[in-house]
Amino acid sequence: MNRNVKDLMVPISEYATINKGATLFEAVLALEKAQENYDQTKTQHRAVLIMDKNSKIVGKLGQLNVLRALESGNEPVKSVKDFDKYGFSRNFIAKLKEQSRLKGTTLKKMCLKPAAMKAEKFMETLSQSQYVEEDTSLEVAFYQLLAGSYLSLLVVKNEEAVGVLRLTDIFRAVVDAMKENKAKT
Amino acid sequence: MIELEKLYDRIIQRTNINLRELDFDVATQIQDLIPLSQLTKFYAFYGISPNHPIDFQFRHSSLSGSYFLGKCKVTNSLLYKSDIRGDELKKKGDSFQFKDFSIPIKRDESMSIENSMLIKTLVHNFSHDPETPEEFYIKDTISLHFANIHGAPSRGCFLEPFATVDLTTMNECVIGAYSYIQAGEINRLNIKPGTVWVRVPDNFNFLYQFPQDQLDEYVCFNKCETPKGILMDFVNDRKEDFQQVFDMVSKKQPISVPDNASLDPYAVTKAENHINEKVLVSQRAFLQNVWMGMGANAQENSIIINSRLERYNVTAHGAKIIEADLGEKVFVGFNSFLRGKPNEKSNSRLTVGKGSIVMPHTIIDIEDQLVIPEDTLVWGLIRNEKDLKQNSVSIQEFEKVETGLSMGNMVFEGNGANFVAAFRDRINHILEANGAFFDGKKNKGHAQKNQNMSFNTIQPYPKGDLEGLYPTIIIQP
Repeated sequence: MNRNVKDLMVPISEYATINKGATLFEAVLALEKAQENYDQTKTQHRAVLIMDKNSKIVGKLGQLNVLRALESGNEPVKSVKDFDKYGFSRNFIAKLKEQSRLKGTTLKKMCLKPAAMKAEKFMETLSQSQYVEEDTSLEVAFYQLLAGSYLSLLVVKNEEAVGVLRLTDIFRAVVDAMKENKAKT
Repeated sequence: MIELEKLYDRIIQRTNINLRELDFDVATQIQDLIPLSQLTKFYAFYGISPNHPIDFQFRHSSLSGSYFLGKCKVTNSLLYKSDIRGDELKKKGDSFQFKDFSIPIKRDESMSIENSMLIKTLVHNFSHDPETPEEFYIKDTISLHFANIHGAPSRGCFLEPFATVDLTTMNECVIGAYSYIQAGEINRLNIKPGTVWVRVPDNFNFLYQFPQDQLDEYVCFNKCETPKGILMDFVNDRKEDFQQVFDMVSKKQPISVPDNASLDPYAVTKAENHINEKVLVSQRAFLQNVWMGMGANAQENSIIINSRLERYNVTAHGAKIIEADLGEKVFVGFNSFLRGKPNEKSNSRLTVGKGSIVMPHTIIDIEDQLVIPEDTLVWGLIRNEKDLKQNSVSIQEFEKVETGLSMGNMVFEGNGANFVAAFRDRINHILEANGAFFDGKKNKGHAQKNQNMSFNTIQPYPKGDLEGLYPTIIIQP
């Protein structure tokens, strides 16, 4: 039997979500909670979806986005973004950033400022190619994930988000398909 | 004063057209900042001496309270209490060195100010632009209180109060309050207040940024408001002393001055001052209870109080030194503010060791005694020992820097030895130009050449449509 996206997706109700305006700290807490509640036999969530006041998904905050938030929230010198206009070389700016970041910094200190910032500042907004209809075949979704090198696709029904199809879900289907082939031979 | 109003609007429009790429509206910055009625109150004056070629040409301009020396043309401009000092312009037959080019000077260089408004601004030195070696131009530019345009041709720029652009051609730029720029050439940059930037491409690059909230205490410029802060208050407190000098200028020296030194009649001296040989005290300088060692100088708008400056000190344009002792050959850069605060309980004076370089636009404002060691490079905002550690370095150490250095809000890329050498050369040039090395025959400088100068005054139309404007005046040898 041919399967489609809705057979493999994680329903939106099981996914970590936060409202727009929540802080980065609230976002990571939501992700932690969703991971705790999720079926231990399945693969853990790695992202939080951000919704506006109409419950429309406006973006996604993955683990890498959180790490990037820590980086950008701890710029070494206040005017660092202006350095280009003052004629400093790229190598010098990179070196300066590196030195400054490592100087007396701990992970704890790095988290202080960004944790209080709004999560949407660091979220990834979704492009058209990151949406997929729930009755799309797995084969089409497979190519869609590959084409954009995405970690997940947002599954929609009548323009409403109903779930998330993750790379890991497709990967599991691929492993199953290989096993079936082997069994037949 | 209909014509004056039209001229004011025209200058704002000219500057705005140039700054449109930066999306900057000058009108919103200076609306009502300069009451035009002020521009009719004061006479303008120019100096004549056998040592400075003259060619003054004033057309359709207001020149209230401004001073002119050397060759300069002013057209369609508003100048208010500004100094246009053309005593370092290049002369016919000179050669101007730019990188590997030796550029012959075919006619005397002149200053040309057009469609511009300069408020309490100093214009000095000569054009460092190799493309216009015989014209130091300032066009479509507005500069505010105590800005310095020093060897810096300008087109379409806005300089906020206490900004300095030094040896740099600037096109369509906004220079924030209390910023110092020396970068060769800059185009379409909006420099935020309190930026100190010294760059020679492929050689070195120094950048310091004042903490904004702390800078506001000293220099603060809000849209359409008169500049505020300790520096502005400090200058305003001495306004009346200058008014008296300008009302009753006298050729008689108020204090004893050696033959080879110069005290400008438009400088203010109060209490006991001692002027040694080859000292230069420029117009609008203020001395009160000061000991000036041999060859030391106090340039325009500098204020020195209860201080001792050993020989060969340089107090650059607009620098203030209060309750301080400066060793031999200390350089205090443009618009710097050095203030000790001794009181009955403690001797909180400031001491700056010999050979030290206080970078332009440095603020040292202490409550407790502070000693800056000999041969130290100092920058930024210093209020105590801790600040000094973060904002200074021994020159010997700095000379060892080969690729870069970062301390607090200062970053430096390049070769430290080259940076120090460039400053040392500059300081020597300043001392030489000011006459500190005059040996009785050779090396005459401003301290000797500016003696026995005659001053003529000129006045604007007193009433009517042209009120505040000066008639076309051409003064030639």
